[in-house]
This record gives sequence, structure tokens and C-alpha cells, in this order.
Amino acid sequence: MDVTKVLDAKGLACPMPIVRTKKAMDELNSGDVLEVHATDKGAKSDLAAWTKSSGHELLKDTEEDEVLKFWIKKA
Amino acid sequence: MANTKVAIIAANGSLFDAYKVFNVASAAAASDAEVGIFFTFEGLNLIHKEAHKNLPLPEGKEHFQEGFQKANVPSIEELVSMAEELNIKMIACQMTMDVMSLEKDDFVDGIEVGGAATFIDFAKDAHITLSF
Repeated sequence: MDVTKVLDAKGLACPMPIVRTKKAMDELNSGDVLEVHATDKGAKSDLAAWTKSSGHELLKDTEEDEVLKFWIKKA
Repeated sequence: MANTKVAIIAANGSLFDAYKVFNVASAAAASDAEVGIFFTFEGLNLIHKEAHKNLPLPEGKEHFQEGFQKANVPSIEELVSMAEELNIKMIACQMTMDVMSLEKDDFVDGIEVGGAATFIDFAKDAHITLSF
């Protein structure tokens, strides 16, 4: 996947992963892909919900060794 | 969530209340909603220059202090400055300020002072209204 930017949000608790993702996304252009790494367990549903409510597209998400990874395409 | 408006009343002043208010408010603002918070009575502690840095845990819940550190939860100071960055409208209740002899300068930067009508005017077309 062609990733434009990687955001390390590991170790951050709610609502920081969402806020950091929003800030990172603001700096990207339409069609760019942001890869987010998080360890907050709530991020799994939160980032999916955030992506939906902000109109972006969640391309893929994985979970490995307690690290959640998300690939979000900017609308 | 653009074109979504969220109106929040913060009427209590413990650390728990602060997290309830600022977490929901910043999540909404980060989702592109327009957010306004009306701070009234004990809720004013949440934006008081000094008080917001050291909010009390509710009585009998002091043991949760450790949990906040363990969970790496952001400090209220961080959340307040984030609220400002996210352009969350913060209104301090004029009447409560008068009762408590507080001035605008006693509060963090970026707030405005208004009465109940100011909040009602903001909230009249809100999609989500919350009270904490």
C-alpha cells in the first residue's frame, strides 16, 4: 500500500489517538493514505467510527502484538 | 460530522467531570463537529487558571489517581489547550463568576464570558446536547 504518512499514537489514551489522527489528516491531501499505530484498545472502534463520521475511508486494520494498525484514505 | 453541532453544559468540578467533558468535546471537535461548552457553578473549576491543574478526585475515589497515571491519560491542562486548538467555544457563566467573585482573567485564555442566553443561543440548533 502506498502510505503517505505514518502516525505513531502508541501509548496514548482516549481521546488522543483520535485528536492526533485528525491533526495528521489535516496536513494530507485528498487520496493520501495515513497509517496509524495505536495501543489504546478503544482505538479499534473509535478510529473506525471517526473515519466514518469524518467521511474518510478505512482501507484496512490489523492487530499484532497488541499494536493496532489502521490505514485511512483521506476523502 | 461537519455541520453537526454539539452543546455541552459542564456543571461539576471534579477530575472525573473534567475528563467526561473534555474527552467527549475533543472527540466531537476532532470529528469536525462545532462544539460549545457552557461552564457553570463548580464546572468553572475546569477552566480556572489554577484550579484546572489540580482538580480533586471525588470523595472516596482517591485511589483512582494511580489508574490515571497507569493508563497514561492526558492531563487536564493538555486537554484544555487541545480544546483551544480545536476551536471549541468555551463560555464561562457570568452569573456564577459574580457569585464567586471571579474575573475573566482568572480563567485560561481563549474563553468567553456569557450568560445562560448566550449558551441557549448556541445550543438552539445543536444536534447533540449533553450535561455533565
